[in-house]
Amino acid sequence: MFAELNSILNTSPDDVTQREFILLSDRKADASFLLHHFLSFYLKAGCKVCFVGLVQSFSHYNAVAQRLGVNLVQAREKGQLVFVEALKASAAVMLNESSSDVAQLFDYLRSPVPELRALFEFVCASLSQAEAEADSSSPPVLIVDDLSVLLSLGVSVRAVLDFTHYCQAAICSRLQGSVVTLVRCDDEDDDDEDDDESSSRLLRALTHQCTLSLSVKGLQTGYCRDIHGQVEIWWRGTGENVQSQRKIFQYKVYDKGASFFAPGTSSAVL
Amino acid sequence: MLSEGLQATEPGGFLLIRDTACYSGRRLLKYYINCALKRGEAVHVLGFEVPEHELCAELDRNYLHLFHYHNAYTDPLGWTKQSSFTVKHFSATEITRLVQETQQATASVLVIDSLSWVVRHHDTVAVCQELQKLRKGGSVRMIFGLLHTDLHQQGIVGTVSHLASTVISVTPVNNARYAVAKISQRKKSGKVMQKEEFFSLTEDLTLSIETKPNQSGNVETDLHTKSEVDPMSNLTFNLRLSEVEREAKEKVALPFVFSEEKKSALLRPGRGSGRIMYEPDANDDIDEEDPDDDLDV
Repeated sequence: MFAELNSILNTSPDDVTQREFILLSDRKADASFLLHHFLSFYLKAGCKVCFVGLVQSFSHYNAVAQRLGVNLVQAREKGQLVFVEALKASAAVMLNESSSDVAQLFDYLRSPVPELRALFEFVCASLSQAEAEADSSSPPVLIVDDLSVLLSLGVSVRAVLDFTHYCQAAICSRLQGSVVTLVRCDDEDDDDEDDDESSSRLLRALTHQCTLSLSVKGLQTGYCRDIHGQVEIWWRGTGENVQSQRKIFQYKVYDKGASFFAPGTSSAVL
Repeated sequence: MLSEGLQATEPGGFLLIRDTACYSGRRLLKYYINCALKRGEAVHVLGFEVPEHELCAELDRNYLHLFHYHNAYTDPLGWTKQSSFTVKHFSATEITRLVQETQQATASVLVIDSLSWVVRHHDTVAVCQELQKLRKGGSVRMIFGLLHTDLHQQGIVGTVSHLASTVISVTPVNNARYAVAKISQRKKSGKVMQKEEFFSLTEDLTLSIETKPNQSGNVETDLHTKSEVDPMSNLTFNLRLSEVEREAKEKVALPFVFSEEKKSALLRPGRGSGRIMYEPDANDDIDEEDPDDDLDV
């Protein structure tokens, strides 16, 4: 959890903004540090978290989270964290290896009409259950890392958008919780304007949907040791009269944190 | 022209608001909903993208009994079996039934938020056909639709736009307080009006329109009667001559016409005219030869 980012976003573990749909995106850079931030942030805030990890294994996320001061193993044993090992499960489904419970969630990879309904139902069930048990003071949270992997696995943009819509309707509106998703844009530019199945199309559609967008970009001038890139924070201003507002920061990621500063004010420059 | 969007009383009108991720057209849509409510029309919303409380948050509380939200937000595909209206129900007959269930004496307006959702799940041609049936059907006075243009291929956007009687494309301006609306309105007579307007919407949904600083985009195209501005009005000088002026003008001799009078004046050596006096000096080197000898004069 990065304290600096919290102050920029005007939030803290004691005061979690509800009903947020946060979209993280990156282009020629790595936004996973933000994802780790939100994971540790919501766990520290005491929220029930459902994490769909399509990119890394549990031990990887655990190793990173430990540096940020959160123990995922403990959280999982307490029942605060539901971790979906989607990386292993989807590979297993592809190779037709196992028939475990988790693998059934990923049946969409085989079914004739691919839709993510089973995954949604699982997420929804695990988070609704939490609300029944615990006091509803802390909202449930869904984190997906990352949606563009689904595109690579052959799921259509439409099916992914249906999934996120249902998650938003169920988690943000009904359970008063939050959703955090990551989308990676790897295409060089927008030359595939008419390509229906591109990650940039998914990103644009999710931008319409989200309430807060953090998009990470590499520096145009290339790699730099002291500035790792820039992040544009965009409060979309949907819903409760929040004005749309955009701010750009440059950042540097450290071992156990990250610093954010206005463009051009890096300590290496001044 | 933005504020007139609703007053187009031709039945079967279809107003399409096109937006991109940079600037959401939903607030403009809300403004139109609010206007319709204030005029006492029943508003039926097919809500796919935004829950009811968010959509009617800023609407005028006094008229909310006229506002009917058909919830396709919580369960648009029938996954959780909660909603009465799913995207599969998007057909003229089904929508007509919905509208008529709560039919009031007044005219009703249909709002689709958003068409992008419908187009994503249906064939574009089918969507257009259903929309056309709705317009002809007479159960709704007007249709308002929101379309996110950056989510669809250009052809699809074009197809839906052709169906609309009024298309409003909203784009943000740098300072974010205002946005530009490009409006093109097609009247039944075939007249097409195009206009660009700066607008901003306050929190209580009042619309303020600014005149565009650069008037170049303010062109009104009219195929039948072209009203041309007379370039000769408001001149600072006179283009025509009266008879007296013409006579006076003709009397004036032009400076380079060689008249008889002028010729004689030039040939007569006048008194006191200039003459060159030259007395050679002793040191002068006088060349006897004519210096212009080689010239062919």
